Amino acid sequence: MPTVSELRGMYEEMVLARRYEERLQEEYLEGKQPAFDISAGPIPGELHLAAGHEASSAGVCRHLRDDDTVTAPHRPHHVAISKGVDLKRMTAEIFGRRTGLSKGKGGHMHLFDPDVNFACSGIIAQGCPPAVGAAMAAKKRNEDSVAVAFLGDGAIDQGAFLESLNLAAVRELPVVFVIEDNDWAISMPKERITDIEDGSRRAEGFAMSNTRVDYDDAVAVYEAAREAVGRARAGNGPTLLELQVHRRMGHFMGDAEAYRHDEDKEWAEKQDPIPKLATRLREEGVEDVDIEEIRERAHDRVEEVIRWAKDQPEPDPEEAYEDVFVGDVAAGVGGED
Amino acid sequence: MSGDAGGDVELVAIDSDAVWPEDAAEVEEAVVANWFVREGTRVEAGETVCEIQIEKVSIDVPAPATGVLETIEVPDNGEFGRGDALGYVRVG
Amino acid sequence: MAETETEAAGRELTMSRAMVEAIAGEMREDEEVFYMGEDVADYGGIFDSTEGLLEEFGHDRVMDVPISETAYIGAAVGAAQAGMRPIAELMFVDFFGVCMDQIYNGMAKNTYMSGGSFTVPMVLTTAVGGGYNDAGQHSQTLYGTFAHLPGMKVVVPSTAYDAKGLMHAAIRDDDPVVYMFHKRLMGIGWMPAPEGPKTPVPEEDYTIPFGEAAVRREGADATVVTLGLHVHRALSAAEELAAEGIETEVIDLRTLVPLDAETVLESVRKTGRLVVVDEDYRSFGLTGEVVARAAEGALSDLEAVERLGIPDVPIPYARPLENEVIPGTEDVAEAVRSVQG
Repeated sequence: MPTVSELRGMYEEMVLARRYEERLQEEYLEGKQPAFDISAGPIPGELHLAAGHEASSAGVCRHLRDDDTVTAPHRPHHVAISKGVDLKRMTAEIFGRRTGLSKGKGGHMHLFDPDVNFACSGIIAQGCPPAVGAAMAAKKRNEDSVAVAFLGDGAIDQGAFLESLNLAAVRELPVVFVIEDNDWAISMPKERITDIEDGSRRAEGFAMSNTRVDYDDAVAVYEAAREAVGRARAGNGPTLLELQVHRRMGHFMGDAEAYRHDEDKEWAEKQDPIPKLATRLREEGVEDVDIEEIRERAHDRVEEVIRWAKDQPEPDPEEAYEDVFVGDVAAGVGGED
Repeated sequence: MSGDAGGDVELVAIDSDAVWPEDAAEVEEAVVANWFVREGTRVEAGETVCEIQIEKVSIDVPAPATGVLETIEVPDNGEFGRGDALGYVRVG
Repeated sequence: MAETETEAAGRELTMSRAMVEAIAGEMREDEEVFYMGEDVADYGGIFDSTEGLLEEFGHDRVMDVPISETAYIGAAVGAAQAGMRPIAELMFVDFFGVCMDQIYNGMAKNTYMSGGSFTVPMVLTTAVGGGYNDAGQHSQTLYGTFAHLPGMKVVVPSTAYDAKGLMHAAIRDDDPVVYMFHKRLMGIGWMPAPEGPKTPVPEEDYTIPFGEAAVRREGADATVVTLGLHVHRALSAAEELAAEGIETEVIDLRTLVPLDAETVLESVRKTGRLVVVDEDYRSFGLTGEVVARAAEGALSDLEAVERLGIPDVPIPYARPLENEVIPGTEDVAEAVRSVQG
């Protein structure tokens, strides 16, 4: 069971993650009104927010160290927060600034932080093979670090995921695959795209351990992740976890979710993992005033990083030609022969 | 609603309020995403003449009457308020 | 009584609606035509490519598929080889990485490798293009990649009129056709299109033959060869240049495979000054191909050549960086000025 200190840490992370997504939503929609123009405003392009997913990263990453590798999909912010990614530089990256993690080149779907071994990407299941690779490196070097690949329920039919399961299993690699099952792959509900209800059972086909965790329970996630990460660290191979979460803000900003029944949206509203964890905190003797203080601190932190990010300079157009390769190789870049 | 432009001409407004969806009741502004006919084109009642966008939702707007699209009041990408006339159809 | 003003020809459609009209027409005519892809049923396609089709044709003929491109695009190949006429959608062309084997080794090669005894009458639709800050994995066009590999026809409409005609032709074609539609041209409410792609579209069916480029604008001072979104940027540039006394000829390629080199050569023989504008990577692609064809067919007429494309870098996210790498209207105008003697 998590200690009170761990519970408090998870709670703060989850509150911060939720507030972060809410504030990004506000910033994103600014300048896109009255009708949504995707390339307008302070945060242009696509934005996939993870409100509702908080319990998964908080519970899993509580067991990870900086030298453990995490890969995440296109809905990454809560995972990055739990992994300890540099929040100021991550926010600057989302706002497309020069001091962002990728100097403005990656944006919200391509956040990289080598200091904590975090990377995310926009192609479904693309993060799975590299997580296997990080695990492979750890094993070859006789280190006890592990790798965790986060993916969505929509990704469990993709070849990259299935091949990764097999490779991890047959080579007994220290990797944990975490399916965040929010029931929806854009507009496609899980039951219409796969016959299996418990996605973690995909592991059975690869002789791998698996567990499924009920909706939005941060403590249950913590427990399942403790076992899975522990198994990996002890050299006993990979695990496939499926964590049920819910999606509160549509697939991407701009998704009117017309395909989703109102009852489903209302149900999702009620599933909030954050009040659930607050209740648990109170059961553990944490005072309301303390909980409130945690919330305020988290909210302040979010304001601080957004303010910092918006103050950062934009990149110079000339920088577009840099960082293709390490070192000074032109390779036909720029068009001047 | 109709306006009188003199004598026997009947103008019917393409009323934005008529197509406003219930679940966007709190929203007061929108944008014309696309017109599908130009001024001076014949239109049939019920035929889609333009598409509006209320926040993220897209709605087809039908011609309120058969006749000719006399004027476009709100052009492509133009903003308007709920209840504004998007254009007028001259009946006939 | 009818007034003296002209009652205009009729309706105009956005490129997405024109494309959908063609698909619906073909699906009504032939039960063997069906559409499959991600979010194409209830959602109507992420970029409106199937908007309204579900209502008329149902979930069996407008099929949502799991995120498994290798499986469902490969399945389209198989269904086509069994005689059906599937349209499979690759949501973003950038996703071709997860399924290219089924496309370039199967769909594109089986006709040849079977000596013609197998045919693959399918259409692979896919959304292309950037300019709205979707970064390196969601903004590409990859025209060169698909045109380069043998065995698949490649079409790139730039207007609603062309979109409908090319779609009818693509579905009726007994060969595999890659139909690349630019997101910015579709007329989507949340990604406003420039002037140009929305055009009058006839109600009846019609086809546009492949291998016929369209001269969008005539001029004697420079030949601009381009496609997709950049047809409209080139036309804007041409207007600007006309005020400076430079008359630009703008050629819209429309199909890459087969390529209409003859129209390009005729123009180059007239103007002597060639500017090729592409929204794909500069090296080893479309611009190089067009210049090579001009050199092969009209070398003595060529006085100047300029290529515009995306430099050989992944497409960056931040606005100033993306604007730097994707050719803009002003870049086209500059290029035309630079080839004037």
